[in-house]
Amino acid sequence: MAEGFDIDHLAKLARLNLTAAEKVLYSLQLNQILGHFQALAKADLPATIDLARVVSESALRSDEPGPVLGAETVTRLAPASRDGQISVPRVVDDEA
Amino acid sequence: MSSSPSDWEVVIGLEVHVQLHTRAKVFASSPWGFGKEPNEQVDPVVLGLPGTLPVVNREAVEKSILFGLVVGSSVPEQCAWDRKNYFYPDNPKNYQLTQKDFPVVVGGQVEIELPGVSRNVMGEHKFIRIHHAHLEEDVGKLSHAGSGSLVDYNRAGVPLLEIVTEPDLRSAAEAEAFLRSLVALLTQAGVADCDMEKGQLRCDCNVSIRRRGAEKLGTRTETKNLNSISSVRDTVIYETARQIRELEAGRTITQETRGWNAELSRGYILRDKEDAHDYRYFPDPDLPTLRISRETVARLQKLVPENLYDRQRRYVEKLGLPFTAASVLVANRELAEWFEAAAAVHPANPQGIANWVTNDLLRDLAASGTAGALLTDEVLPAVSLASCPIKPVQLAGLVKLTDDGVISKQQAKEVFAEMFKTGQEAVAIVDAKGLRQNSDTGELEKIVQEVIADAAVAKSIAEYRAGNEKAINALKGPIMKRTQGKANPILIDQLLRKFLG
Repeated sequence: MAEGFDIDHLAKLARLNLTAAEKVLYSLQLNQILGHFQALAKADLPATIDLARVVSESALRSDEPGPVLGAETVTRLAPASRDGQISVPRVVDDEA
Repeated sequence: MSSSPSDWEVVIGLEVHVQLHTRAKVFASSPWGFGKEPNEQVDPVVLGLPGTLPVVNREAVEKSILFGLVVGSSVPEQCAWDRKNYFYPDNPKNYQLTQKDFPVVVGGQVEIELPGVSRNVMGEHKFIRIHHAHLEEDVGKLSHAGSGSLVDYNRAGVPLLEIVTEPDLRSAAEAEAFLRSLVALLTQAGVADCDMEKGQLRCDCNVSIRRRGAEKLGTRTETKNLNSISSVRDTVIYETARQIRELEAGRTITQETRGWNAELSRGYILRDKEDAHDYRYFPDPDLPTLRISRETVARLQKLVPENLYDRQRRYVEKLGLPFTAASVLVANRELAEWFEAAAAVHPANPQGIANWVTNDLLRDLAASGTAGALLTDEVLPAVSLASCPIKPVQLAGLVKLTDDGVISKQQAKEVFAEMFKTGQEAVAIVDAKGLRQNSDTGELEKIVQEVIADAAVAKSIAEYRAGNEKAINALKGPIMKRTQGKANPILIDQLLRKFLG
């Protein structure tokens, strides 16, 4: 089992059914990715580096409504639909 | 060991989700609005289709900052968005764009007013602290039909400001007062419409109890998705009673997520989705951190309206209005501004103007169906006074005519009714109806002297002269009768006193 994460827990959160072989493979790969970021974290970089990802308000969009897809297109993108709505297996939040 | 409910203190924190008043969605240009056919207000960005990228709506950001300024928060230099990951059909992208570490509003407070002992007595005021507010996207709407569920994504991507309080509320009445205040602040600043019937304000309610005097907070439960002020109040009452019952029976409170059945007035445990709270947040790579310029903050600061309770204090202390009238006026910014416009024209009698506005004008507006919401108990969005047939300057004119003694108070009611019907100036109505009170001293003097000479009132005159002040009133009736009610009562009184000396 890799350090810092639980592959079974992650697979469950991501709704993935992994075989034993896949668990070994993905654990290894995830560890490599995490190792990469750990290496980056150790690097001595200037604190201002984050500014590259900061934008000013000129990057915002104006509050102008644009085109929509239409219910027909939206429902066609889904495996099942009914009355203009996307149909899914019943999910319940109401009082049991 | 038995204990009474007063041995316990309830601690409440609220998370209030408010749809912001914008035309387009928060990260997409799709329009949104209530009552459209399902899935007609959806574009590829809302669905997170491959190749699409979100761009933040400026108006949504500015409305959020404006809210921050309204509650006196410090506007941060930067804010940023994160992905909250979970699988649920209401969530088209499998993540919700929200703000976790760098929200757009940090801190602030909301002043609340509790009900007084009666309608005309002001209740206690308190300040409830705001922890933060973050700008996120709303999710789609699910409806359940038989073995399946149906999804409408029209609501997905609607700008949602989640306002999180500190656990400062101590009763159902305080929670209710807080929501009323918050709705007034949001609507008066134009941040949101808060129409609860359209789901524009929804609330999660955290409740815990502790022994009075204890410092440590008890285990809390969270009741989700309350869509009215009364549901929040009822939930607090229900949850408090339930938790007291549990603890006094020697059981413990489980930290759980609950729902509220408004029809049956009872709470229930939501079947907790396993790991539902493991959202694996991470910074959204598509949306860069936003720097908020101080120029924008300064510009928005100018849009912050006078706080409703500051306004109320000003009305009571500076204008001398009774609390009842002041509280009705300040609950609606448009109404308060209407009143102030009238009071500016006739500054001598703000109280008289306030009486007309809060009694006659609101009653007639309600009857004509243009302002019913102004009178209801729930705080509702601003109602348009634009269609009100009477303009502020006209009401001021009417009050001035009454104050100057040109018409009587009774006549003023008649003029007001006509004014509401036709939108004419008070003076024009008075002249057209020949209502002008007789202030011609010469003519009136003659009538007064005739009445005094009449033997029928000799007894009253004698009584008056003997020191009975009230006896003078017996002479006023006959004078009024002779002038067909047009005589100025103030003038009659003066003349009588002069002649009876």
